[in-house]
Order: sequence, then C-alpha cells, then structure tokens
Amino acid sequence: MLDIKDLHAGFEGTEIIKGISLKINKGEIHAIMGPNGSGKSTLAKVLVGHPDYEVTAGQVTFNGKDLLAMDPEQRALEGLFMGFQYPVEIPGVNNAEFLRLSYNAKLVHAGQEEVDPLDFDEILDEKMKLVDMDKKYKDRSLNEGFSGGEKKKNEILQMAVLDPKLAILDETDSGLDIDALKVVAEGINKLINQDKALILITHYQRLLNYIQPDYVHVFSDGKIVKTGDKNLAHELEAQGYDWLTTAKN
Amino acid sequence: MTGTLTEATQETAVLELHKKFLEDAGPAHPALAPLRESAIRRFELLKFPHKKHEMYSFVNTQELAGTAFKLAKPSPIDTDFIQSRIYPQSKNSVLVFVDGFYQESLSDLSGLGSSLTIKPLSAAMADSKIKQYLLDTLEEENDVFAALNSAFLSDGIVLDVAAKSQLEMPLQIIYMSNGATSGPVTSYPRLLVQLGTLAELKVIVNYIGAGDDYFINGVQDFLVGEGAGVTFSQFQCDTPHSWHFSKTRVQLQRDSRFISTNACSGSRLARLHYEMHLKEEGAELELNSASVLVDDDQAHNFVRIHHEAPHCTSRQRFKNVINDRGRSSVDGTVIVNRGAQLTNADQLLNNLMLSDDGRADNKPNLMIFADDVKCTHGVTVGQINEDQMFYLNTRGLSAESARTLLTTSFVESVLQSIPFPDLLEDVNRVLLKKLEADRA
Repeated sequence: MLDIKDLHAGFEGTEIIKGISLKINKGEIHAIMGPNGSGKSTLAKVLVGHPDYEVTAGQVTFNGKDLLAMDPEQRALEGLFMGFQYPVEIPGVNNAEFLRLSYNAKLVHAGQEEVDPLDFDEILDEKMKLVDMDKKYKDRSLNEGFSGGEKKKNEILQMAVLDPKLAILDETDSGLDIDALKVVAEGINKLINQDKALILITHYQRLLNYIQPDYVHVFSDGKIVKTGDKNLAHELEAQGYDWLTTAKN
Repeated sequence: MTGTLTEATQETAVLELHKKFLEDAGPAHPALAPLRESAIRRFELLKFPHKKHEMYSFVNTQELAGTAFKLAKPSPIDTDFIQSRIYPQSKNSVLVFVDGFYQESLSDLSGLGSSLTIKPLSAAMADSKIKQYLLDTLEEENDVFAALNSAFLSDGIVLDVAAKSQLEMPLQIIYMSNGATSGPVTSYPRLLVQLGTLAELKVIVNYIGAGDDYFINGVQDFLVGEGAGVTFSQFQCDTPHSWHFSKTRVQLQRDSRFISTNACSGSRLARLHYEMHLKEEGAELELNSASVLVDDDQAHNFVRIHHEAPHCTSRQRFKNVINDRGRSSVDGTVIVNRGAQLTNADQLLNNLMLSDDGRADNKPNLMIFADDVKCTHGVTVGQINEDQMFYLNTRGLSAESARTLLTTSFVESVLQSIPFPDLLEDVNRVLLKKLEADRA
C-alpha cells in the first residue's frame, strides 16, 4: 500500500529524515517509536505533504501512485489520513459543516453524489458514537476551546468520517488520560480492518496495550535503527531508547 | 451643474444649492424651516472636513466635497424592483424611501396594527418634544454630513411605537437609490423612531442601489423608552459607484436595549456613523458589524458610544474582510462619563487581509472618567492562517474551498447574529459571493 524508498527530507535546509525505507501492506499496523527529535513527526508531515518540509531524495508510492507528486488534498482524497499531534483550532468553522464538506469532497472524488446536511447528520451521529463524543461538539467551532482529549477524539472522528485506506496517527495518545485513551483506542480498532493500514507514531508504549502493532520501528536521528514485533515496545518501555541510539555509534 | 469644484468654492456651492432648495421648496412645510436654517448654519460653522480632521482621519472626503451634486428629484419608480426586495415576512410591514423620498404607495404598515403610528416629520414637529430633540441634536451636531441631511430636509418620517406594544413582525425599511444618468445626485432620507415604555420593535434596514453616481446621506434616530427594545439589522448594499453616508443615533432610556447587526458591502466611499447614548441605568447596546470589501470598495465606521449612567453594557464586534484595493476603517471611542460606575464595555475589531493592496485602519479608544468599570478593547489584523489551510487541505478540501471556508467563517460569526432569515440569506448571497475565489 505504502512504499517508502530511501526518503530524505528536511526543514529549512536541515536534513531531518536521513534515508528511510519502509513498506506497509494492507491489514498491517506499524508503530513508530523513538526519542523526541528523531524524525517521527517529520515523516508523518512529509507523507501528508506539509508545505514547510522539503523532500531532497527518495520515492514514496501510495497504492502504486507517486505520493510526493500530489497536493495535500489529493493525498487525502486518495485515502491517506493524518491525525495531528496538535490539531489546529479554527474559530468560526462549524465542526459538523466542516466534516460534511470533507465527507462530500471524498464522495465527489470517488464519483459519487454529495449528501445533504440532514443525511450527513445521521451519518455523523453514528460516527460520533464510535468515539463516545457528545453531540454538542457538532455545533462547536472546529477544535475551538476543545480539551486536549476532545481534540484527539475529534481527530479520530474525522478519520471515521473520511474512512482512509492508510491512517497515520501522530502521538494521538499524548495528553490523554487512561479513560480517554481506551475510548480512542477502541474507536481506532473499530475503524481498521484487513483492507486498511495504520501507522501509530508514539513516544510511549501505553497505547500499544490497546492497539496491537504487527511491527515496531525505532527511529533515531532520522533513520530506522531497529524493527521488531510488539515485544520490542515492551523492551523500550523497560530499558529506554539509549541502548539503541548509542549502539549505532 | 457638474464638474469638480475647488476647495474654496465647495462650501459656497452648497450654500447656493441650499438657497435654491429653499426657493424650490417654497412655503411647503414651514415647520421644517427652523431645522433647515439651524442645520445650514451648523454646516457653515463645521465646513467640509479638511484632510486631518479627527472625525475623518481615515476617510478622504475631498473628492466627495469637490463633486457638484444636484438634488435628487422624485422620479419614476420601478415598482417591480422594489416589490422583489420586500421580504415575505415583512409584506405588510414595510417602509419604502426612493431617492430620499418616502413612498406611501409602496409602503404598507397594516401588519403592525394600531400600535404603530406614522407621521411626516413636518407634522411631527408640532410635538414640542420632538422639535426640541431635533434642534438640540443639531446644536451638538459635529458631523457636517449629518448636518447637511437636516439642511436639505424635504421631509422625513416619524414612527411611534405605543407603550407596551410588542411588534412581532419585523419592520423592513428600504432606502432605494435610483442613481443618476446626467450628473451625480444627492438624497437625504430621514427617519425618527420613538418607542414608548416596554415597547418592542424589530427593524430591518436595506440600503439598495439600482444605478450609479448617487450620494445617499441619511440620518436615523431611535429614541428608545424605558424598558423598550429594538432588534436592528442593517444591510448596506449600495452600488460600487455610489457614495453612502449614514448616521444612526440611538438614545437609550432606563433598562432599554438596542441590539444591532450591520452588514456592509461598501461602495466607492461608504461611511457609517453610530452615535449611541446610554442615558439611564441598565441600558444595553450591542453593535455588530461585518464588511466584505473587494475591488475598490471602501467602508468606514465611525462609532461613539456614550455611557452616561451606571450599570450599562455595550458590546461591539467588527469584522472586516479586505481583498484587492479595498479599504476599511473603524474609528471607535467608548466614553464613560463621570458617575457611570459599573459600566461594562467591550470592543473587538478583527480584520482579515486577503491582498497586499488592501488597507484596514483601526482606532479603538476608551475615555473613562469613572473608576469602577470594566472596559476592554482589542484589534487584530491578520491573513489567512497557513496552519489552518494545511489542516483543511489534509481533510480533502482544495486550496480554494479551504480559503473560502476560512474567510466566510470569519464574517459568518458576526452575520449569524442577524435574527431575520430572509435578510440573512440576502446578506450571505451578496457578501459571501464576494468571497468566493472564482468571482468574476
């Protein structure tokens, strides 16, 4: 589904991603772990097409198409989704209206008819149940004044509405208390299946108790320094990252 | 007489025009004579604003003052055009002015019943209270254009809402300008609305243009009695090649309310002057405004809010979107008089700039002469936030639709406070259309 080949990328002339190759097939869950500043979030931003990041070398194909040649909205319409670590607040933009626009953009891209606000309301109610979100958040401005937990739930709600083929969740677990974490994790589990793939970027192992990864990759200094199964996450939790990041020197 | 006048002859030209106006008016409406005389004296004293006049810091009136206007005359009216602008819910509660002249045949107040009475201003001058109020306000008038409205008064309309009457049906007031084909014309619509104790009135005001080259210079007074309330929404939608000056003056008695939202489309020069007096305890004022300016549109707001008694509240919210070479200004001062303790006054001015050539001037000001008050003011001038754009892009929205969503939501937060669905639809149709990326 996603094939990253020797990707190099950076920000304002500084190389942050220094040669990453990674293949993700449908049905797989990959966790990316690593210390702060190791390039985890940068990879996510490069994959969804953040304009501030520059790809200096390498290729990325997404379902056979050249991902890097697409605009961010095209990537979204092709089925790539990123859950933001820090979701942006947009005062004045009604949450439900935004979700409907987004949903309809996807439908139009797929050559289908748009849904009207009333029909969408029913769809949205169903999706909101998945993440145990209060209906009052429909009428609020997008993320404005939401608590950290509600913002993250709102990201998963957007994932539910857009139904992506590949979701990249950037530190979706950070800032969540254990109850909210369980709700969010259950929501994610319901949204993925054998036809989809998931990349979980996390600093902590905690989320992986609820969402079982098939692969765990450890990032350090813009490279993957180790790949293993879910047990690697437990090792990291127990021993920290130092044994991996110093071993390569 | 057309063409451009030099600065020295500008006032003389107005005085000559006034002389001719009085001759033409003849002996009709002698009751208006003291107003016209007092007003033209006021004009002579105030004169047209020079470049650095503090009330016109951001508004260049040189071209306007230098234009030789003729007075608009009653002319044939496109009845269908007017009818099409009357909102269904106001079918039987509508007042129509065309080129400043009240049109009885197009107006219909039957839906408002007997608790609303209408009189020509010339007849209402027999009421010593109204006469004194108008003369007093002229004595204190510092806006030369508002003074000109009284100087060239052919007549006006006075509405009285009886005490304790709650008028459910919104009263729609249409100020329509036909424009001119042979040289620029001015019109001077005049309205005074009085509300008795505990009366309630909903008002929709539409400024509509059907042609170009007109200067509408209107004045509206609202005298709101004890415990009374006005819900007021105004849509300034003149044609781009017109001049619009209007003054809205509000006097609020004890526990009364004036809740207003203004939508502005601007024009070659539009200036909206709000003079608000919270005269007695418990008065409440809300002044919301949204402007959408493109091409060479200008819209200037001049606001003076006078807190004259304790326990009064005023809230102001201005949102301006400026594209192309558009210009907006908000010059707003809240004056809290000595003794007006426990005043609560907020003022927030937000501007969204979509081009490099647009301009937004903001001058929020507080003058506080009491020591136990809560007053805030704030100004923002910003551009489209790139993080917000990117966020929307990652949700499948194209750059154009994300931009449109962000700009419309900016003004919609103010426009949503318009409580009249027909008007809101009209405003959205015109203003939001101006924000669409693909506008022709």
